[in-house]
Amino acid sequence: MRASNPPAGPGRPLPSLARKLSAVWMRHFTVYRRNFFTNSFFIVVEPIIFITAVGWGLASSISSMGGLDYLSFIAPGQVMVAAVFSAAFDMSYGTYFRMEMDHNYDSMLVTPLGVTDIFWGELLYHGTKGALFSTGVLAVFALWGLVHSPWALLVPLVGFLTALTFGSLGLFAVRLVKDISQFNFFISGVISPLTLFSGTLFPVDKLPKAVAFCAYWLPLFHPVHLTRMLTTGRFEADWPLSLAYTLIMPWVLGFFAARAMRPKLIQ
Amino acid sequence: MPANLIEAKNLSKAYGDFKAVDGVDFAVRRGECFGFLGPNGAGKSTLMKMIYCFSPRSAGELTVLGLNPDRQAAALKNRLGVVAQSDNLDDEISVRENLEIYSGYFGLPKKQAAQKIEELLHFMSLTEKAAARIRELSGGLKRRLVIARALLNDPELLILDEPTTGLDPQVRHLIWVKLRELKKRGVTLLLTTHYMEEAQQLCDRLLVMDKGRVLAQGKPRDLMARHLPPYVMELPASRRLAATPPGVKVDRYQDRVFLYAKSPAQLHRLAGKLKGHFSIRPVGLEDLFLKLTGRDLHESE
Repeated sequence: MRASNPPAGPGRPLPSLARKLSAVWMRHFTVYRRNFFTNSFFIVVEPIIFITAVGWGLASSISSMGGLDYLSFIAPGQVMVAAVFSAAFDMSYGTYFRMEMDHNYDSMLVTPLGVTDIFWGELLYHGTKGALFSTGVLAVFALWGLVHSPWALLVPLVGFLTALTFGSLGLFAVRLVKDISQFNFFISGVISPLTLFSGTLFPVDKLPKAVAFCAYWLPLFHPVHLTRMLTTGRFEADWPLSLAYTLIMPWVLGFFAARAMRPKLIQ
Repeated sequence: MPANLIEAKNLSKAYGDFKAVDGVDFAVRRGECFGFLGPNGAGKSTLMKMIYCFSPRSAGELTVLGLNPDRQAAALKNRLGVVAQSDNLDDEISVRENLEIYSGYFGLPKKQAAQKIEELLHFMSLTEKAAARIRELSGGLKRRLVIARALLNDPELLILDEPTTGLDPQVRHLIWVKLRELKKRGVTLLLTTHYMEEAQQLCDRLLVMDKGRVLAQGKPRDLMARHLPPYVMELPASRRLAATPPGVKVDRYQDRVFLYAKSPAQLHRLAGKLKGHFSIRPVGLEDLFLKLTGRDLHESE
């Protein structure tokens, strides 16, 4: 019987980083596959409902915004909001549950996986979902005639990166909260305002100067700004900055967020 | 290969002012089954966590498989099997999927993993349940699966934190059979338990601890010989004893009186004077445990 063979000994090779990350990714994919549809349906549908309501009720009385028709202006923001909410929810409440109730990470941590492997694997999984959800919303908006440029094909990548950023913020929240009710501060106090004031519904320069300056540097402005340039094909002077911000921010935040989880698990 | 798989010297773990583990020395030899005994809160689980890299030490030395758990965690965990107290399986997916996912954490190639999984399902008598979801399993089946999962990487050292707590006697015995089988194949076992029978059945050597410190360690038989006379008679505390004959030691615990003696004859003579039927038996680990850890009721963890 091989099951009770002599132990393997020190010769057993350690898995590579890529293998470890893909194993964690597979865990989440396999475990959440069964209820994937029910969990993702409304994440994709909500921005569509939002646009429908605004289109019927509001868009007719706003002739243009930022040089675009109003729906084309707000559509890119709603594409990113799908990625933001899925990652921010699942890596705050979800991670907290996996850690405190189900003790999933404890079982992963007694393998060659380290704390940062576990959370990078999880971030990449939510990045994938972010790419998928932003694609879903984008596809509907494209049928609606709200996508004006083939550059929009790059939007899933922005969705991926934005989900990494907001997943990382979720991890910081997990590190900070004392009990689960405090996630309300994170969702209602941090995430929701970001989805309103990051150039999603109106250009940030309509805000008071100091607020506008802050909004410009907060984590959602540049992904939305970049997405709008991609869906409209109208690139503004600050596109290199938006691109750089969107590309770099998730990895910086992720680096610190994954490390921040260490004291929660290793004591 | 070093003879000792684990070596701890003056090992300590403090959380603020609280010393969970306080200057512990012990060594676990290759191929043996070593048990930690102690009341709740004695520091057994903390000690285990230090060994499987969950809890960096505050002071002292610790080597596991020749590695430093604080600095060489991945290399060490690659060669350990750990069965924690809680079952922490993925409830929504099947038995086989749980094992497949876990084999990925060790980087096992797909084909090798599939073969290993079939073998382990068979070994832990889980083959028929391979497609069942975890939420459909009884506590005993879950425990067997957690043990199977801990064997995916052919560990040299299998660490089990209260492996049979809360299980029925049939499952407990099945698990003991499997653990003894693993030991025969050269797997070193380290376990904590509250069941003295489990310690008696499985452990070659024991370490009894309380409040973070070692009270005694050695072979169960030697420990009992060192700390207790070989026979004991148990009485309700309400029974009045006239005088204790020389050579008989008296101990009280809750509502019981324990009379210890070198020979059963001494106790039989004593029993003859008392009315009623009292069992006279060789001392067991339970007697040793109560003797060493004292009579106070311990706060639970």
